[in-house]
Amino acid sequence: MPYHEFECSKCIPERLRHAVRKTEGEDLTSALPLGYLNTVPGSISERGCAYCGAKHVIGTPMKDVIHLSHGPVGCTYDTWQTKRYISDDGNFQLKYTFASDVKEAHIIFGAEGLLKQNILDAFAAFPHIKRLTVYQTCGTALIGDDIEAVAQEVMDELPDVDIFVCNSPGFAGPSQSGGHHKINIAWINQKVGTVEPEITSDHVINYVGEYNIQGDQEVMLDFFDRMGIQVLSTFTGNGRYDDLRAMHRAHLNVLECARSAEYICNELRVRYGIPRLDIDGFGFEPLGSSLRKIGMFFGIEDSAEKIIEEETARWKPELEWYRERLRGTRVCLWPGGSKLWHWANVIQEEIGVDVVSVYTKFGHQGDMEKGIARCGNGALAIDDPNELEGLEALEMLRPHLILTGKRPGEVAKKVRVPYLNVHGYHNGPYKGFEGWVRLARDIYNAVHSPIHSLSALDISKDEIPTDRGFVTRRMLSDRDLDPQIANRADLRPYSGRFDIIPEIRARRAERVANGEFVSAP
Amino acid sequence: MTIVTQQSVLPQHTSAPALPVVLEPDEVTAARVEQLCEVIMKKCLWQFHSRSWDRLRQNERILGMTTSLLKDEQVDVSDPLDRCYWVDARYLAESYRERFEWFHDMSAEQIDHLLSALTERLNVLTVTKSLNEELTDQHY
Repeated sequence: MPYHEFECSKCIPERLRHAVRKTEGEDLTSALPLGYLNTVPGSISERGCAYCGAKHVIGTPMKDVIHLSHGPVGCTYDTWQTKRYISDDGNFQLKYTFASDVKEAHIIFGAEGLLKQNILDAFAAFPHIKRLTVYQTCGTALIGDDIEAVAQEVMDELPDVDIFVCNSPGFAGPSQSGGHHKINIAWINQKVGTVEPEITSDHVINYVGEYNIQGDQEVMLDFFDRMGIQVLSTFTGNGRYDDLRAMHRAHLNVLECARSAEYICNELRVRYGIPRLDIDGFGFEPLGSSLRKIGMFFGIEDSAEKIIEEETARWKPELEWYRERLRGTRVCLWPGGSKLWHWANVIQEEIGVDVVSVYTKFGHQGDMEKGIARCGNGALAIDDPNELEGLEALEMLRPHLILTGKRPGEVAKKVRVPYLNVHGYHNGPYKGFEGWVRLARDIYNAVHSPIHSLSALDISKDEIPTDRGFVTRRMLSDRDLDPQIANRADLRPYSGRFDIIPEIRARRAERVANGEFVSAP
Repeated sequence: MTIVTQQSVLPQHTSAPALPVVLEPDEVTAARVEQLCEVIMKKCLWQFHSRSWDRLRQNERILGMTTSLLKDEQVDVSDPLDRCYWVDARYLAESYRERFEWFHDMSAEQIDHLLSALTERLNVLTVTKSLNEELTDQHY
């Protein structure tokens, strides 16, 4: 097994089996790190807890819901939606977060009464919201508060409200992934099958494992509008609570992020016979194939082909412009979970960069299998890295860029490695054909920014050159580029708008106004 | 649900006198299996479901249908679950035909032999010799 031992972790021998380097001749039977295990004490890693995984990642992207944590205010504050899981109706889920504000006295004397009062107060404060989710936290789980009983009491008193209880305290798994599992199973057990939806198309899907980061889901809804496919529910970005209660009526579950949502797809397959189709929504070829497959399932492949043809003609010349300028760029692909494998191959094929490392904070070995299978030889795969390992890897691999979240990203900036936020995104959405060009544009802007050479100068001791003028990204990226490529008239840089979501929403609103089909009104 | 058959989209083969089955040498088959496997690993996701039993079922159903499609045989997709397998199988069969010229010269028996070896290899990589310790976890 080609394990990689970090110098900084020699004092934590358990870490050895959490990093491997895939080399020539290695395959998944010889190169796979451990994963989804409790973090070794002494290794300060970047994981979230199981409560965070249930509430922050899965629950709170639902848009028409009061999301209430039964616990101290800190738990809800730290899982307040800061990740640009936007919605198309005013971002209620981003603006507000709720907690029962449990304190020491409640731990001693119980907090059920406090919880009930909080739920009533929340509904009274926001009378237009009739749906609420309650999330268990460590303290209230340990004292044994019966949240289900409290929720039922409130629903008996207020017949027009509905409450979902998520029993996933922080200690309920090694990482946030444990919370993903728990909320999936809780939702299907408690809520699926309790609402009968209006069916508006012969082609009906649940769009699962999609969280509408900076509008990703809305980009896809636009495609589904054009294909005549009804999206019964989105699990859970920009999704509605009652739509998700009706998941049992879909003909197909279209799954994006496996580990946050495959459980509910598997259960829907077993309990209701709804098939699960895993797709890739990123990159021209994978997205095109995914739309084509959905089209094949419903016998409407032509509608997918039309979209692929139009979008490719519009955006491919812009993607190519960046690819020519990013060839050979070394990147560490260090996202949280699914982008590790969604991007590992296509980012190399279509954007031209070389993936020198993949990692996952909370993924399972299954995520690593996909990632390692898709990246090239020589890539270093790390499970649940601590901060020192991250720094050591940057020093060893010398990447031009890391694609990661804000915690490791800010650390990388301190050692002058540019980072792109691929959790909440820099300038997304990154899904869709145009979105993929936006990612290429953001990578280009990060890698070729003149700030990196300027920031290397220490004005207290270095000589500051005065014989050089203004430098632009284009001057840097085209310096060593073949002039024939640099001057290709058929290629161009990104020409879309700063924010593409208002345009998509306007287009969908126009369809509604004209009485045309929309996938999710 | 409509039953879709390959006959509707692919040319019919006329009956020909039976010929002795000539299989490719082992090293050719092994090299081709690696090429076919690489396409699955780089482009597909269905082979990585979470548990051994699930993976074996995926591999068997999808590669079984892929074999039929490559041989221009009918595939019954009247059941929605089968239709979903067929979607992934059709993508794979079309990818193989597009990428590998040698597929067009293969007999049905040779395709059977090759895809059977591919299924075996995929089962090794994703199930029987997999290092994924969750595959046999009883808690799904």
